[in-house]
Amino acid sequence: MRKPPALIVVFGVSAALLAVLPIGYLVLRLFEGLDKALAELLRPRTLELLGNTILLVAAVSISALVLGFAQAWFTTRSNVKFASVFAVLAALPLAIPSYVMALGYISLFPTFSGFFASWLVLTLATSPYVFLGVTAALVRIDTASEEVARTLGLGRFQVLRRITWPQVRPAATAAVLLVALYVLSEFGAIALLRYDTFTRAIYNAYRGSFDRTSAAALALVLLAITLIVIWFERRYRGGYLANTKALGKRVRVDLGSWSWVAMAGLTLAALVSVGVPIFSLLVWSLQGSASLDLAMLLDALWGSVRLALISGLVIGVFATAVALWAVRYRTRLGVFVETVSWATHALPAVVVGLALVFFGANITPWIYQTTWMLVIAYMILFLPNALAAISTPIAQVPKDLEDVSQSLGVPANRTLFKVVLPIAFPGIIAGVGLVALTVLKELPATLLLRPTETNTLATRLWGATEDLAYSQAAPYALLLVIIAGLPALALNSQARKALSEVRG
Amino acid sequence: MFKKSLALVIAAVAAVSVSGCSAEAALPDKSSITVYAGRSEALIQPMVDKFTLETGIEVEVRYAGSAELAAQLLEEGQNSPADIFFAQDAGALGAVAKAGLLTKLPDEILGLVSAQYSAADGSWVGVSGRVRVFVYNPDTVANVPSSVFDLAEPEWQGRIGIAPTNASFQAFVTAMRVLHGEDKTLEWLRAMKTNAVIYEKNSAILEAVENKIVDAGLINHYYWFAMGREIGFENLTSRLGQFEARDVGNLINAAGVGIVSDSNAARSFVEYLLGQTGQQYFVDQTSEYPLISGIEAGVDLTPLSQIPAPDIDLSDLDSLEETLNLIREAGLI
Amino acid sequence: MATLNLRGLKKSFGDFEVLSGVNLVVEDQELVAVLGASGSGKSTLLRLIAGFEKPTAGTIELAGDEISSVNKVLVPEKRNIGIVPQDAALFPHLSVSQNIGFGLAGWSSKAKAARVTELLEIVELQEFADSSPDKLSGGQAQRVALARALAPRPAIVLMDEPFSALDAELRTRLRLDVKAILQKEGATAILVTHDQEEALSLADRVAVLRSGQIVQVGSPTEIYNSPVDIGIATFLGDSVLIDGEVKNGKVVTLLGALNPLNKVTEGQVGRVAIRGENFYLLPNPKGEGEVVGQVFFGHDAVVEVVTKGIKIRARSNGPFAPEVGMRVSVWVRGSVNFYPG
Repeated sequence: MRKPPALIVVFGVSAALLAVLPIGYLVLRLFEGLDKALAELLRPRTLELLGNTILLVAAVSISALVLGFAQAWFTTRSNVKFASVFAVLAALPLAIPSYVMALGYISLFPTFSGFFASWLVLTLATSPYVFLGVTAALVRIDTASEEVARTLGLGRFQVLRRITWPQVRPAATAAVLLVALYVLSEFGAIALLRYDTFTRAIYNAYRGSFDRTSAAALALVLLAITLIVIWFERRYRGGYLANTKALGKRVRVDLGSWSWVAMAGLTLAALVSVGVPIFSLLVWSLQGSASLDLAMLLDALWGSVRLALISGLVIGVFATAVALWAVRYRTRLGVFVETVSWATHALPAVVVGLALVFFGANITPWIYQTTWMLVIAYMILFLPNALAAISTPIAQVPKDLEDVSQSLGVPANRTLFKVVLPIAFPGIIAGVGLVALTVLKELPATLLLRPTETNTLATRLWGATEDLAYSQAAPYALLLVIIAGLPALALNSQARKALSEVRG
Repeated sequence: MFKKSLALVIAAVAAVSVSGCSAEAALPDKSSITVYAGRSEALIQPMVDKFTLETGIEVEVRYAGSAELAAQLLEEGQNSPADIFFAQDAGALGAVAKAGLLTKLPDEILGLVSAQYSAADGSWVGVSGRVRVFVYNPDTVANVPSSVFDLAEPEWQGRIGIAPTNASFQAFVTAMRVLHGEDKTLEWLRAMKTNAVIYEKNSAILEAVENKIVDAGLINHYYWFAMGREIGFENLTSRLGQFEARDVGNLINAAGVGIVSDSNAARSFVEYLLGQTGQQYFVDQTSEYPLISGIEAGVDLTPLSQIPAPDIDLSDLDSLEETLNLIREAGLI
Repeated sequence: MATLNLRGLKKSFGDFEVLSGVNLVVEDQELVAVLGASGSGKSTLLRLIAGFEKPTAGTIELAGDEISSVNKVLVPEKRNIGIVPQDAALFPHLSVSQNIGFGLAGWSSKAKAARVTELLEIVELQEFADSSPDKLSGGQAQRVALARALAPRPAIVLMDEPFSALDAELRTRLRLDVKAILQKEGATAILVTHDQEEALSLADRVAVLRSGQIVQVGSPTEIYNSPVDIGIATFLGDSVLIDGEVKNGKVVTLLGALNPLNKVTEGQVGRVAIRGENFYLLPNPKGEGEVVGQVFFGHDAVVEVVTKGIKIRARSNGPFAPEVGMRVSVWVRGSVNFYPG
């Protein structure tokens, strides 16, 4: 087992320590009132919430997997028309915050609520994670192996199940893990759509009764659920397969008369995930009396872009360090650090936000309510998103190249910088883009931790919808979707890159 | 590190309680203050700008939900950068006051507002009033029921919208508990479990009534006026109604303000909110009720004195814990 | 009984006709090489036989049943055909044994295990039975791919440039291996390749594919000795083309009067194709030819000579090949092919 460079250890350990911070905070709060916390946990309502949460997480995970996989397969592996347009449309919901999507639905269909509504909106909001992960994996599969399987007696669906699926499984399950944790921690959309989950109960404990002990108890249960989900994913994912040489010609499956069915399905998915929310936003901007304050809009835009870029870069560096440690050195500590950063990912943003309020105000007042505090919060919240995007390209750099480099007299650590990182660079940038995009959409932690009088598109959007001023909210929401759309499109073309290389 | 800061906290608490005794001695002068505002920026910022223009005191405002800001203040404890907490409801102020984080307001400020709308211990003061109303669709609801208790009748099944996680709803339930007792309140809440459609907040209920999803709802009055200003009053389907004489459903509530870190500047800000300009601003901009004498409520509003409100002080509504227990027991949250 | 019968097979992609009427019969236990330059339609032909593409015209018959026509294409999984792709394309998530046994779905586990063991022995990879495919070298992977294709005893095995990704030495060895394995299995096979040496050394018969049509079919010797046109002649070996005219039953050229292999008519004008091994060089200080280049291969050498204004490439016995700068006399021995026009 090789030893990782000190720099990587420093970055990795600090990322892990930061990730542990909210857990420490929760334990602290829990011990302030153990009896009360216990009573909270033993309420029948808690069990009911647990059931609701598990049901929603399971349902959304499955449907996001099915939808994202279908979109990825049809746009990369079939001869469906306008495949690249449909690919863009499949990635685009990533740019729409789930609370905006929920608001969009409610304003068009006022009775839209409950389990079905939450399931639909969260499925649409999270399926791009699966779509992007599976697309990247699909374009790497040598289609010749699928054709061989056909001649060996497998039908089209059997090939999908026995040849294609095992090869995309690691990427798909990693994406589904992101989806499951997203649903576990989601509050905004679920509250609007009136479905009760654990996270909503945690928010209510804070907001209704200012009861931090009960909230902590519930949040720790959520943490336990998260660990179980992660354990399942690790068990089921299986190892990443050696990258098959993308040598063979990529053959697209001729759908024949099914082509129209596929197009109809892809169009429907695009309509409900992108069409409905955007249409709602356009309707909002046409209604109402509000005039647009351009200076305010630009100020919020700058606030958003600045935060997204800083956080993207900082988190990208930390995620690269953790990924290098966990993937290329595979020491136990490295894997532990990776797991810890995943564990806190399902905590609601309000918990992470309040933990940092507590530590920030009382221990590190010099960075409290500064941009850096926000960056730390985003790091705790979104490091796993970056890890998911960055680990694969780093794992795929052939080990031989490192050996060659070292044989040419370049020391191991410099080899990392001169060989491994440059090759994995496009993937790292994709991770930075994903973080930037997620930061643009984040609201609860931003509200708690932003420097006073700093605004982002998301906080302005929140302010306007709180006032019922939807016409004022519309330009912020549209601009947010457009700005967040840029990294979403970049992620899509990155995932499909191998495809164009082969066909070009 | 942590131990040290804990010691600092204790020292600070001691210092504050000592200085609390000799509060009149010498107040620090500040040229800028920080306000945690649980009310909307569109509403508050113009008034803040005016205040700065008139007094030269710089004001930094942190906007977020009242409850989130209360939670934030609780976490920050004595190290909070806030000077003032301006909240949407008495519950959030009460929680922060209970943790000993609000200083007692001077009597000249407390004296401006009727004691009914302030904390009994003088830790916060109401600045604008709002009334619980019955919002309904006149096409489907012929007569406003005479009491909020009538909504427990089977005829209301699935027709009424409530927001049990909302602070003003909880304040109303607390009032019901105080005035009518736990049993009757629980009975009503259980009826609501059957009859009511649950929403996250007042605005969502109003939209549901407007969109004819429910026939009626329990909200604060000014949401209706806010929507009227946004889409035009002539476009509103719903109407507002009050229950009859002194019904608890007509509770008058207040948005209020408390001082976290005392200074002359902080006091002048509170005084400004309770001054002529500030109060008139609430009347004009949000259709809320002024809480000082000498200012008329908006023309469309029933004067506060004529509201058949229940006889209760806001400071009697600090038993939130028991209320939440009842709401939970009824299975509404 | 003919195993495979292609009749008038055509395939177009849009306006571009890749195959324009291919006729070919492959007999039982025969190995036919389809030889063509890249872009000649070889791979398309294989994909049609495998059932991945639908013909624009024509039919394919396998063991007496029509499996492809314009109207109906039997799906690949029902054809009983094995394929060996260019880069092996082993299933990366399965072990070597699992790869080989993949097509034995209906078999009892005992029969399946016996068949896999048998094939592992034939391809001499027993020790890799439980290895993952990424542990195999290129040649080993190709042998596994062949074993996988052969396992269900298909009616025919299709090999698409199976040696192209390998280095020269490995290629030669593997060719012999493959031939032996196919013979041991009694399999019928089609090999498509652009490498004439591969086609000639391996196949029972060679079919030359050019511009979407099969222009000549025959045994390797027939194809090599009697190319039906000048294009095939140059494609199949290192040939020099020289103008000539038929006089008195011989073709008169700058290099002398040569014996034609094919039938000629008096007075015809055309060109002869002379292969490298037909030239004979005699060192002669007064010779008309001058050696301008030499490539040494050990057992033989290719010598470039300019004589009478013509540049020729002659194969010569390696150790005794004339060196650059030497003067030589040039003879042509044996008979040559004459192509009028």
